[in-house]
Amino acid sequence: MPTKIILAGEGGQGVQTVAKIIAVTAQRSGKNSSYLPAFGVEQRGGVSLAYLQISSKPITYPRFAKADMVVAFCDRAIPAIKDFLSKDTLFIYDNSVIKNKSLEKIKNLINNYLAMPALALAKEKLSSKVANVVLLGGIIAHLKEIDYQEFEKTLLEEFADKIIKKPEIKDLNLGALKAGIEIAEKFNKEETPFSGIEATEIKTNFSKEKISWQRFPEYCKGCGLCIVRCPTKALQFSRDSGFLGNPMPIVTIEKCIGCGNCMQICPDGAIKVEKST
Amino acid sequence: MPETALPKSWNKESKPHKFCPGCGQALALKILGQAIDELDIQKKMIYATDIGCSLLSWSMFNVDTIQTHHGRTLPLSVGFKKAKPEAIVVSFTGDGGGYAIGAQHLLNTAMRNDPITVILINNANYAMTGGQLAPTTLLNQKTTTAPKGRELAQGKPFKGPEMLAQITSEDAHIARGISTNYQQLLEMYKKAISNQIEGRGFSFVEVIAMCPVNWHTDAQQSLDFAEIEMAKIYPIGELKCPQK
Repeated sequence: MPTKIILAGEGGQGVQTVAKIIAVTAQRSGKNSSYLPAFGVEQRGGVSLAYLQISSKPITYPRFAKADMVVAFCDRAIPAIKDFLSKDTLFIYDNSVIKNKSLEKIKNLINNYLAMPALALAKEKLSSKVANVVLLGGIIAHLKEIDYQEFEKTLLEEFADKIIKKPEIKDLNLGALKAGIEIAEKFNKEETPFSGIEATEIKTNFSKEKISWQRFPEYCKGCGLCIVRCPTKALQFSRDSGFLGNPMPIVTIEKCIGCGNCMQICPDGAIKVEKST
Repeated sequence: MPETALPKSWNKESKPHKFCPGCGQALALKILGQAIDELDIQKKMIYATDIGCSLLSWSMFNVDTIQTHHGRTLPLSVGFKKAKPEAIVVSFTGDGGGYAIGAQHLLNTAMRNDPITVILINNANYAMTGGQLAPTTLLNQKTTTAPKGRELAQGKPFKGPEMLAQITSEDAHIARGISTNYQQLLEMYKKAISNQIEGRGFSFVEVIAMCPVNWHTDAQQSLDFAEIEMAKIYPIGELKCPQK
């Protein structure tokens, strides 16, 4: 310490919640902390950044150029955090989300890293919504000057309203936090190489005689207008996701009559239907 | 690389565009792109945008684009047209820019019958700033600044095309379309732009658009609100069409 941390992820992944919990806990434990959320308020679905500083000395300015710790929650965060990396930076990332292709671009900047399969672990054992808390566990394992109990206290306070409605949230979050710390403490660079997941190919072309139906994951935002507009209910949400991470529609080509309603209603131009006569 | 479904006049480098999922404004712009393609005016056209969500479209098209202060897009467009009469000027504005802060410009442009095309998005709120009460908000519709719903004391929903139809000359083209009706809106755009090309005068198309994020609606509810609730208050159709 002093520690400069940058967190980056998709809006809605819980980046800002994690940053807030760390900042509040540090303040409580007698440290100085500063937390600056940075996301384009006018642009939804963008990368959400959090500048976080913890120090025993007063903090004069909330932003910084190079970080001591960089936490990447999602694939699209990589270009946003690239400039904050230096040779001493500890890079924490979710290796069950981030693709090899993205990691390749920053490989030569990284000396020190911690790979955590946060989403995969959360999905399997807890709930996919607490993946951010698993990463929080990884971060606080490296903030040794602050007592673990304090983090637990702030975490429960942050979700107090939700816990009243759904008591199981308490155990989910505490479980995720402990799992995160455990991964971080057992982490060994020799065992876990600096890698992520391979990009999966998404099927985009569907056709039957005379009708061809195409979708474009690079444009689809998952609004669902096409599904509502389909007269034969041939469309439904699939497991594949578009560039925002939202589910994409898929066609049951046998039911498709090639009317083109889905293509006309799509605000993003993510569907193309062609009917030859 | 497969061929895309985007209009040819769209700037492919700025896609995916910055509008929210399910935005009706993006849909209106897709149809405008189609109209530009079909009229083949991409090289002759000037696209003017306003502040607000409409500003997110500044890099939407591969056409020359101008932009100015909130609500002042129309005088800027008129100035451009006066200086360069052969240009086809299409102004794109929201209900905040056109009916609130820039209402006087819309009125005066229409009264003078200036030969520009205005496309105005009506989504019944101020969308970019978080869904505040707009002149076009429906009665009883809840917004962030009218949590109990719009009351009559806050004014009736503002009917722009009806007002402009009263004050414009017979050469003006005035219409209201809805972004979910592709063919109808495409025809309206083409007629409105042709009205300018043929030198008749002012043309105006109001487009009803969904705003799922600020309405807090899903896909089906957004379509229902736009196509049923809004269309009830804002009847869709051509109010003035000199080309008949």
